[in-house]
Amino acid sequence: MELLGECNLGILETLSEDAIEEITESYGGYFTTVESLIGGDSSVEQELVCHVSTLCKYGLASLVRDHFLSSLQQAFDKGGASTFWLHFDDFRHKQHTDYGEEIHQALCGALEEITIEKQFHDKCLSILFHALHSFQQQSSGESHNSDSERVELFSTFRSILSSTLMTTLPPHFPEILHCYFKEKLEELSAIMNEDDTQQQLDTDGMDLDDKLRSKNGEMDVDQGFSRHDELVKNIGKVVRDLRSIGFTSMAENAYASAIFLLLKAKVHDLAGDDYRTSVLGPIKEWIQTVPLQFLNALLSFLGDSVRYDTTPSGLTSPLACCPSPSFSKVVTPSQGIVRWKLRLEYFAYETLQDLRIAKLFEIIVDYPESSPAIEDLKQCLEYTGQHSKLVESFISSLKYRLLTAGASTNDILHQYVSTIKALRAIDPAGVFLEAVGEPIRDYLRGRKDTIKCVVTMLTDGSGGNANGSGNPGDSLLEELMRDEESQENVGFDDDFHTDDKQAWINASRWEPDPVEADPLKGSLSQRKVDILGMLVDIIGSKEQLVNEYRVMLAEKLLNKTDYDIDTEIRTVELLKIHFGEGSMQRCEIMLNDLIDSKRVNTNIKKASQTGTELGEGELSVDILTSTILSTNFWPPIQEEPLVLPGPVDKLLSDYASRYHEIKTPRKLLWKKNLGTVKLELEFEDRAMQFTVSPTHAAIIMQFQEKKSWNSVDLAAATGIPIDVLNRRVNLWISKGVLRETRGREPNGNVYTLVESMTDSGKNESEELLGGDEESERSIASVEDQLRKEMTIYEKFIMGMLTNFGSMALERIHNTLKMFCVADPSYDKSLQQLQSFLSGLVSEEKLEFRDGMYLLKK
Amino acid sequence: MSPDFEKQIHELLHCRWHAVASWTWDAQDETCGICRMPFDGCCPDCKLPGDDCPLIWGACNHSFHLHCILKWVNSQTSQAHCPMCRREWQFKE
Repeated sequence: MELLGECNLGILETLSEDAIEEITESYGGYFTTVESLIGGDSSVEQELVCHVSTLCKYGLASLVRDHFLSSLQQAFDKGGASTFWLHFDDFRHKQHTDYGEEIHQALCGALEEITIEKQFHDKCLSILFHALHSFQQQSSGESHNSDSERVELFSTFRSILSSTLMTTLPPHFPEILHCYFKEKLEELSAIMNEDDTQQQLDTDGMDLDDKLRSKNGEMDVDQGFSRHDELVKNIGKVVRDLRSIGFTSMAENAYASAIFLLLKAKVHDLAGDDYRTSVLGPIKEWIQTVPLQFLNALLSFLGDSVRYDTTPSGLTSPLACCPSPSFSKVVTPSQGIVRWKLRLEYFAYETLQDLRIAKLFEIIVDYPESSPAIEDLKQCLEYTGQHSKLVESFISSLKYRLLTAGASTNDILHQYVSTIKALRAIDPAGVFLEAVGEPIRDYLRGRKDTIKCVVTMLTDGSGGNANGSGNPGDSLLEELMRDEESQENVGFDDDFHTDDKQAWINASRWEPDPVEADPLKGSLSQRKVDILGMLVDIIGSKEQLVNEYRVMLAEKLLNKTDYDIDTEIRTVELLKIHFGEGSMQRCEIMLNDLIDSKRVNTNIKKASQTGTELGEGELSVDILTSTILSTNFWPPIQEEPLVLPGPVDKLLSDYASRYHEIKTPRKLLWKKNLGTVKLELEFEDRAMQFTVSPTHAAIIMQFQEKKSWNSVDLAAATGIPIDVLNRRVNLWISKGVLRETRGREPNGNVYTLVESMTDSGKNESEELLGGDEESERSIASVEDQLRKEMTIYEKFIMGMLTNFGSMALERIHNTLKMFCVADPSYDKSLQQLQSFLSGLVSEEKLEFRDGMYLLKK
Repeated sequence: MSPDFEKQIHELLHCRWHAVASWTWDAQDETCGICRMPFDGCCPDCKLPGDDCPLIWGACNHSFHLHCILKWVNSQTSQAHCPMCRREWQFKE
């Protein structure tokens, strides 16, 4: 026993001549017998046993073993390995797409051959083992468990074998394997598909019970299934043979990558560019039916085989699946299958997520039609947690596609709102939204018309929804309102909704920030996903938004002739909820003015009905309606001088004195250039209707008395400055009512009434272009107001820039704040300053370079 | 009168004029001497100007927001005086 184990050098000296001779002889004999045994001659077995026992007697057992193994290796090297690889030589130069069926045959053939060879070698090895074993038993006289030795011997052999194969591995072999599995899987998938459709056809005819059974119960043994079974068995055989020659991990890699490839293709196929359906379900189902089914079958098939030749080799990768204990077809998901399922699902989620993230921009453009895709993405992200990928990719596509000079502010805002809505679904805490929204907000702040667009979008359904999403006539505000009601999500603005109960609800709803949250951005409590809030955030403050809205409202109200303000009232009410009563006070007063005007108007009409008969050239009070403003609460109104024609002027002053009677001691001050006049002009050959401003009406009325006026006289008669007059007259010229003839005198052009269509005609075309739309507004726009207020600072700014050279926006702002404390103190926001400065830039007074303002030279 | 003119008269009968005006209190002052708010606005307690927050004249011809002067008058223990001229406050008939 001890001879076997250790090498006792002392023993060499005690050896007699005879003994040495005996050793040499049997050593030689052993060599030849081994050679002939491996060569295939099994008759020498007896002789071998004899030699082995002699050698072992002298303690040379390890030598015996080593020699045997190296002889086996040599034999295998010469024979098995090289012939094995020879099978695949043909494929070396081929494109791996056209292997076809031959690869299957080659692989099977090669594997079969090598397995036979290996079996033979195993047999040789067991002969040796028996020889060694019987000697041991003889010498020690006791029988002992030889299993561990046997196992050790065989595993040594196996690793010798696989390392031999590995060292001679041609580089294209893994690819061959990969292709093989890929083709087989595709075949399998096709079969499954057929099955599926078959089943669908079948189940369509069945009642529900049957349907369930055929879904849950493993497939009935029909033809498709047997084909499938056959196929899996073939693949299983290949995998098993590969394992037995030590290619376990390579085989696994190959079929795993094939499965993933197939899965990826499937996901791409299913997902496509249609965002209106959810694809996650079908994908999961597919995973369940095709790859898992396959793996299940494969693993249970391998289950028996692996058991039988027990591989305790360290080669099993962590991915290798422990065969399930039961080999029956009943699906008890083994640990391996579960692990595979998780892997596959993760992969599917990740693939889909990448796909969706890449297309997120389009998806959001289509929102809310694309909400199934968003929902899918949400689930994927929950699983993979790769939100940062989404943020990065989306921001870059935003920058590339949306935040460009070509996109209209309206479109950007709509996309912004859709983004908010869509991302809110993915991430209710709004952490990622924060990151994504930032670039859009920054960009929008640089645009001049942002405030206007935001206000329009919020309050004006038809105007804002130019893209046609949502119901027409439905403003964003209404939509927000509805959302809020449905969510029962109170607490829009902290200022006026925090009662104790609400605070408690908020507190009990608290959830920690997601790990991805940026700690610099404040905690969840400050970060409500509130679309309106995020829109206001762009503008800077709600005051600015309200101000802009007030101007728009004023414009709208002044152009109303029917006192119908229901929509405006509703909008103001909604805004009141969000911004507070205080900020909407002035708007309310404006609306109230309209309501009062209506009442006063009817009262005055009633009072004058009892009045005297109309005199010659007098006008009935019936044609007059009025809007009476509380000027202090309206935005500044642009007044232009205007002298109205006598009858109208009389009508107005009558109206005013009636008002004074009713409302003493209040009186009316007419803003004569404001309002709307509908008139019908009748000519020799036509009648035309117009809705124009009082100024236009006053001009055309002058032509009742005189068919032609020169501009100086007309200006004097209407009280309009001559340059304004020339612009105003254009309207009538373009309508073909007046004709302009260039006067010779310095007091200008002569305008003549065009009596019939026939003599107009030619004149229209050119003058049409010179419309006077630009100054039609009666309310000074917010920008104009701001400009007026800011001009006093222009000198300061110019001086500053002369001294300092160039300054950043922030610094100009701070300097102004510091030095302009005296009357009027500087109270503008950064945004206001910015828009003023950009105005100066466009006037070429300043230059803007690299974020710095400097004087234009 | 030319035939044209008659036509144009006809045109005028067909017109509808919607005019815009502003109202103002017919007072001497711009602002209320008590609350310093403009008369055309309203007193600090009111939301809506005009009928809801009228002006009142005293015998001394000084005018105030009705609410302002009432508050003043009620806060005086003895006879109230006009905050502007210190004369005895009497509402103008």
